Amino acid sequence: MTFRAGVLVATVLVLALLLVLPELLRPYYVGLATRMLIFALFAMSLDLILGYTGLVSLGHAAYFGIAAYAIALLVVRAGLPSGVAFVLALAVAALTGALFAPFALRGRGSSFLMITFALAQVLWSVAFGWRSLTNGDDGIPGVPRPDFGISLDSTQSFYYFVLIVVGLAALLLAAIVTSPFGRALKGIRESESRMQALGYDVWRHQFVAFVLAASFAGLAGALYACFNHFVGPEYLFVIQSAEALIMVILGGAGTLLGPAIGAALIVFLEDFVSSMTEHWVMVLGIIYVLVTLWAPRGLVGIVLDYCGRRLQ
Amino acid sequence: MIWLIHILNGVAYGMLLFLLAAGLSLIYGLMKILNLTHGSFYLVGGYLGLTVVRATGSFALGLVVAALAVALVGAAIERFFLRRFHLEELPQALLTFGFLFIFADLSLWVWGGDAQMLAVPGPFARSLSVGSFAYPVYRLFLIAVGLAIATLLWWFQEHTRLGTMLRAGVDDAEIARGLGINVSFLFTLVFALGAALAALGGVLAGPVLSLYPGADLDTLILAFVVVIVGGLGSLRGALAGSLLVGILDDFGKAFFPKFALFTVFVPMAVILVARPSGLFGRR
Amino acid sequence: MIEGPMPKNEGAWQPWPFSAQAVSAAAAALLLVAPVSEARAQEPIKIGVLLPLSGNFAVPGQQTLAGLKMYFDEVGNKAGGIPLEILVEDTQTKPDVAVAKARKLVERDGAQVLTGVVGSGESFAINDYSRQNKVPLVISGDAGQDELTLPGPIANPYLVRVTMSGRTATAAAADWAYKKGWRKAAMIGTDYAGGVDTNFEFARAFCRLGGKVIQAQWPAFGTADFGPYLPAVDRSADALFVFEPGADGLRFLRQYVDFGLQGKMPVFDIWGTIVFEPNLTQTGDAALGMYSSEFYTPLLKTPENERFVAEFRKRMNGELPEHEAPNGYVGAHAIVDAIAAVKGDFSDKTKFMAALKAVHFPSPKGEIKLDKYGMAIQSMFIREVQKVDGSLGNVPIATYRDVDQFWPFTEAEYESYQLDYTHGKDAVTDCSKLLAKK
Repeated sequence: MTFRAGVLVATVLVLALLLVLPELLRPYYVGLATRMLIFALFAMSLDLILGYTGLVSLGHAAYFGIAAYAIALLVVRAGLPSGVAFVLALAVAALTGALFAPFALRGRGSSFLMITFALAQVLWSVAFGWRSLTNGDDGIPGVPRPDFGISLDSTQSFYYFVLIVVGLAALLLAAIVTSPFGRALKGIRESESRMQALGYDVWRHQFVAFVLAASFAGLAGALYACFNHFVGPEYLFVIQSAEALIMVILGGAGTLLGPAIGAALIVFLEDFVSSMTEHWVMVLGIIYVLVTLWAPRGLVGIVLDYCGRRLQ
Repeated sequence: MIWLIHILNGVAYGMLLFLLAAGLSLIYGLMKILNLTHGSFYLVGGYLGLTVVRATGSFALGLVVAALAVALVGAAIERFFLRRFHLEELPQALLTFGFLFIFADLSLWVWGGDAQMLAVPGPFARSLSVGSFAYPVYRLFLIAVGLAIATLLWWFQEHTRLGTMLRAGVDDAEIARGLGINVSFLFTLVFALGAALAALGGVLAGPVLSLYPGADLDTLILAFVVVIVGGLGSLRGALAGSLLVGILDDFGKAFFPKFALFTVFVPMAVILVARPSGLFGRR
Repeated sequence: MIEGPMPKNEGAWQPWPFSAQAVSAAAAALLLVAPVSEARAQEPIKIGVLLPLSGNFAVPGQQTLAGLKMYFDEVGNKAGGIPLEILVEDTQTKPDVAVAKARKLVERDGAQVLTGVVGSGESFAINDYSRQNKVPLVISGDAGQDELTLPGPIANPYLVRVTMSGRTATAAAADWAYKKGWRKAAMIGTDYAGGVDTNFEFARAFCRLGGKVIQAQWPAFGTADFGPYLPAVDRSADALFVFEPGADGLRFLRQYVDFGLQGKMPVFDIWGTIVFEPNLTQTGDAALGMYSSEFYTPLLKTPENERFVAEFRKRMNGELPEHEAPNGYVGAHAIVDAIAAVKGDFSDKTKFMAALKAVHFPSPKGEIKLDKYGMAIQSMFIREVQKVDGSLGNVPIATYRDVDQFWPFTEAEYESYQLDYTHGKDAVTDCSKLLAKK
């Protein structure tokens, strides 16, 4: 069997597994799988600017969180129908991305990191402090699932909804990164000056990538708010951004699949290990250190390296 | 009179921030490593100092033990872990994050979850009368120590061979190596020094800020803010940034209490818009 | 309702009406049928405990857990003869994790009752889960948001709370302060949901009696430096009322001395978070003379409490219990009593909830019963930091009994006010706004 055929078979198997999951597992685990999918989307969205465009952001939770708050506020406060609110939330995330991008793009490398961090923290301060709007650290409970005609209140139905949404989003992201636009991004990641010299509008490419990444992050955020029926300032905090960063690095930046796997793995580990021991934080820390030592380019990175060698 | 108190508070707080940020800035300046374990060095150093002080009653001994122990740990982390990933920021981020987690859990395990306050060393445990107010002498001591350390670091950087090698290493590690400078040793030394500074910060801040689970993260965030404002890699920037943040924070909270949460993040955002690499950063 | 220093014995409450002989006779009779019942051994009833055991709220979580475990161990992990299995999950103080763990406990592990809950965000999230999935929830942790046990949009018939409601300690504080002759209060409170709730309710209760808050300062959560706030305290106030939890409280205590405020005016710590036992041992005499209001103090001289404290110290290396521990203990007690009352039958949840709301027993923190919304009715103590056997302790100096969640208002009066704390932070110095009716 050729390598390509092998990959195809594996993909089909995984998809089949994902589809029959609710029949095989208890509702709790279906819920866990839903969380894994949502964070896989979040991580993939970060990979778009991090792995493909080469911009390391420490404020990606800003878009995740603001979409979550948007949907909560639009439904719980403004009384909009949940389906409409869901779509509007995505627009809010995209807009925020468009607003923040010009500031963030004034810096590169560590200053880009710092600016994105700063912007997300300002948003967090607003969510925490503007109590009459957001309830502050109490958060906003009672966020309903989006109503697109069918009820998504059961664990099973919401799982399928998330599976479809994340699946489509992943396909879209894959299309983006393999398109000429995506290839230009990779070129920009390697050398901005060279791409500029070749006639590319580097800034515009980065801006678009940023907004796209923000939109997909917002999609994940809106899904998460609906999943939990709740949103709080933690959705915006630097820890959430850092977690996304870890998921991407662990899985392998610039591979799209890597971050998805990294996210799923970390969500699973956090759940599993924390039920086993109260020292789950240390266990996770040790895992991160070990993974860095053995798979510095991420888990998918080692697979790619291995396959790369085999192909030679 | 109240203005004097606010200014003194701002400067004292700024000096504390300087201790936290100087190490981070130095490490980044030389090795381009954004050390996420920095907050852990602060917290573990502080806790170690606390244990020594409670056991021996000597604050000075606490400072020395904390600085040395954490410097050793820092050196080990650099030598055996970080060194493999020179200039690879992503593995470095994951690695230092992993250590942050490990130290966080370890300190909760060893020292427990209650906030712990270091006792103020004897000679400084009083307050000066300032009009109808009082001002703690310990904070004046902090200002003095902060300035002393800043001066020491500056002198080290400008006027010693090691300091010159450091600046050479920052500018161009390849050439520095070519000139016979043992860049590897320099890296380990600077990382250890940065860690030691953080640990000193932990012990010195102990009587004012107290030590508690989560202080590592809070400190890291604050240090980040300072180096953003001052500019990564610049000692002058770390000093300017910390004083600015310290004073702005104090005045902001006292006169614009509605925006208390913003007094730290807004100046940072404003400066970044104007100068993306900070006040004294290089670009 | 107010009394002087705590009486020695609140009056022993006899839970068991039968004599020892009657019990052994009955036991002997039961032994004859024992083989039959053993053949149908009962499946243990699982109790899910949701507490933060890592992160910033690890200590309240650990203390609550210690209290819970103590009671369950005392009754041999049985309720009315039915074995219990206690399952513990760490919520990491994150609401999303808390909900995930709640699901795990109920859907995967089969927990019939959930308990614990500390943080405010997680309390709302878990409350939602409990209401939607009809899972009985016994709040035995610090989650003190008033709304959880008040009629309103998030009211949950499957919730009871044996711990506290944010405003009860403030009401006691206001009443005692007024009786002491204080009329003008300066306030410092941490700017987060709990802090605003506490200080807002204090201001309102104080205004209703005829006092007034003349200054309010709101340091951010995690304030390291109280330098901007302490020198600014209005010295013309009769007393300073403070609410600063966690590490903030410890810092406040040290800095209040540093900035020369000690001795300048009385200080009242509304929830006792500053004069909290672990803080007292680290700050020398800084806290001497500080007042506080709380539903507990380890120095309560009742047989239940003395026994509780002794056992706690044995388990925890001589440490004194913080208020979360008796809360956990009481939570476990309520669960056990309710399970015994329904004989372990959870098929009718409303019956179980009725049994929960009917619990009534003496405890280390005094007599406990619940109101119709499932909120505890308990005692509030005013305490003063005094030197006791050479070290500082919170000595009870006044008691308020049967304090329910609306005290000193009636439910109708409480609900007639227009402002609530989510919109009322700026109104704390304005009595007319605070007392405005709908």
